Amino acid sequence: MSSPIIEVSELVKKYGDRLAVNGVSFQVQEGEIFGLLGPNGAGKTTTLSILSTLLQPDAGKVQINGYDLAQDAERIKPLIGLVPQELALYPTLSAWDNLAFFGRIYGLRGRRLREQIDFVLELVGLRDRAGDAVETFSGGMKRRLNLAAGLIHQPRLLFLDEPTVGVDPQSRNFIFEHIERLKAAGMTILYTTHYMEEAERLCDRVAIMDEGRILALDTPQKLIGLLGGGVIHLAIPSDFISMLLPAIRALPHVQAVSPLDGRIKIETTEARSALLELIQLCHTRDVPILSLEILEPSLESVFLHLTGKHLRD
Amino acid sequence: MLQQILALTWKDLKIFFKDPGAVVLIFLQPFMFIVVMSYALGGLFEPEKGAIHILAVNQDRGSQAAAILQQLDALDAFVVETRWEGQPLTREMAERLIVEGKRNLALIFPPDFSEVLGQIAERHSTRIVFLADPTASAQVVEPIQGTLQGLIERRVFIARMPKGIDFLLDTLAPQMSREQREAFKAQAEQASSGGLVGGDSPVVIVEREAPTGMRVEKYPNTFQQNVPGYTIYGLFWIVSLLTSSVLRERREGTFRRLLAAPMRRATILAGKFLPYYLINLVQLLIMLGASSLLFKMSLGYSPLGLVVVSLAAAAASTGLGVLIAGLARTDSQVGGLTVLLLLTMSALGGCFVPRFIMPDWLKTLGLITPHAWALDAYQDLLVRGYGLREVLPKAGALLIFAAAFFGIGISRFRFD
Ligand SMILES: Nc1ncnc2c1ncn2[C@@H]1O[C@H](COP(=O)(O)OP(=O)(O)OP(=O)(O)O)[C@@H](O)[C@H]1O
Ligand SMILES: [Mg+2]
Repeated sequence: MSSPIIEVSELVKKYGDRLAVNGVSFQVQEGEIFGLLGPNGAGKTTTLSILSTLLQPDAGKVQINGYDLAQDAERIKPLIGLVPQELALYPTLSAWDNLAFFGRIYGLRGRRLREQIDFVLELVGLRDRAGDAVETFSGGMKRRLNLAAGLIHQPRLLFLDEPTVGVDPQSRNFIFEHIERLKAAGMTILYTTHYMEEAERLCDRVAIMDEGRILALDTPQKLIGLLGGGVIHLAIPSDFISMLLPAIRALPHVQAVSPLDGRIKIETTEARSALLELIQLCHTRDVPILSLEILEPSLESVFLHLTGKHLRD
Repeated sequence: MLQQILALTWKDLKIFFKDPGAVVLIFLQPFMFIVVMSYALGGLFEPEKGAIHILAVNQDRGSQAAAILQQLDALDAFVVETRWEGQPLTREMAERLIVEGKRNLALIFPPDFSEVLGQIAERHSTRIVFLADPTASAQVVEPIQGTLQGLIERRVFIARMPKGIDFLLDTLAPQMSREQREAFKAQAEQASSGGLVGGDSPVVIVEREAPTGMRVEKYPNTFQQNVPGYTIYGLFWIVSLLTSSVLRERREGTFRRLLAAPMRRATILAGKFLPYYLINLVQLLIMLGASSLLFKMSLGYSPLGLVVVSLAAAAASTGLGVLIAGLARTDSQVGGLTVLLLLTMSALGGCFVPRFIMPDWLKTLGLITPHAWALDAYQDLLVRGYGLREVLPKAGALLIFAAAFFGIGISRFRFD
């Protein structure tokens, strides 16, 4: 493996007393799509803001392309294309004027500027709307232009902060295709989202974040593998729990069993067979089943498995 | 870096010119004030244009009334009309014109006017009727009465002189021959009509002059009075524009993009403020240029002085914008408070009402506004006819305001 283009170690950021980022470390290899996956308030945007030099960390170290962020921010900035979570465009200006402006502040001009504008407009499919004021665009079109604005100077690193929020499925697919094309062209992409499917589909590696910490970091497949054959959440009246636990543990397709606030969390080697065995067991012991939930192997389930919380509330 | 500042500037100028509301606020608003106020108050400042029309019905059998009317008409402030559509005016016609609202003042000289004026021993009296529309204000009627009184007294003197001399000589020199007496009278009449108190080329002339050092060709016209005031008033509206632009960039998150770009913060700030300074300069150019072209307003004698004062005034007003943008945190803070601040400062600074009519404490208080200094400097140049040297201290004061505003504003400036 070549040396990582981004190295983050023990990053800490506090807002007053609130620890938004609490000791985050990860490395991103050149050319990969790295996902930061986590619910609202996990600290994804804060982490990206630090990496793009907008925020000063309270502790920790960041190296990008071998430069130390604390000392060489001016060398790092031109490498990065930032696509902020909130739309950051000038609504009364046209798409073309917006891109021309962002291009100019990165030092583009003349023919190269025009070529780049045409290129990114083509990329996000807004070429025929180039002359229209951004305020006349639909939400999805604004998102696409927001993406284009981050690409105008051909950055080596692209930071995408939830680029698909509020975008219809069709436009979302469109954006995914762009991202895959950019990756194919060799761009390194740091991608935050709270949509599991996106991370599963796009990312080479994913860091699962919650409350300022990274809980797990690996390829989507390996993370899903954490669940083994899948997890079942079973709810039965509480006075039956202690009585039933040993019997459940003894079932052939069950790996591990633990109580989880009023329910029983059952890790299986194969979810469907375990489910049948469970129902059989409750039936013969005459235990009423209050609820039964199967967590299909997915990052969503991994998150629930890791935190006991659903990603989307 | 320069290219980045230019890109930032160009971007904000584009945003400005795409916002009709902002363009109207900055360019049209002060201009409308100037036009409306100047025409509304025209008569007060500009005697020729706002001359008061007086109808005159002359029934006098002698020549004294005609002489008075001629002298009244010769004054800049009055236009005397003795005929209407070719017809000599009668009292009925004059009354009808006033009722119809075409004129609001008329003088009616009685048939015996000259005779009564010339009498010495007799004690007859006669009346000049002054017809005035009841809505005509005292400010208009009283000066006319006063002027008329003065003219009549002089006429009385001239009319009575021949008889008076006869009367004097009868008592003092009864032995004087008829020829000697006539020669003396002729000399006396000539001396008085061409001389000391009256006639076409009076010896004593009352003329308006400016204090030494000020150069005034004529009276300042309405526009010279109003243009500086409303120009300064309009200039400072840039505060509202600049502040809302900064808040918008904060709110929309575009500052984040700018911060992420390879630019120093100073570059971003420079690019953020420069366009508004330029708009201010264009504003001054348009206001003064248009006033000079459209209203024939004199621009004074010192183009260099105008340039220096304009650069300094625009710096102070843009600076105030930076200060408010630096202090303001939310949109709601900005809207109402900025308007209140701008109107109060304009009023205190004398943009609406000249500061010289304010009580002393208010006059002194006004000096805390850059408006007062800017206004004074422009009036020095446009109205008082001063040059660069005289306005330099005031331009300096404006630059001090600017430096303080920029300093505090930038130190408190936040990008998010
Ligand atoms: N400017 C700020 N001032 C104070 N607290 C903040 C600020 N920005 C973020 N926080 C807090 O820091 C924590 C992390 O926020 P952050 O925006 O990084 O989360 P996120 O993972 O991006 O969430 P989301 O998915 O909602 O965008 C949250 O608890 C948030 O309330
Ligand atoms: Mg976020």
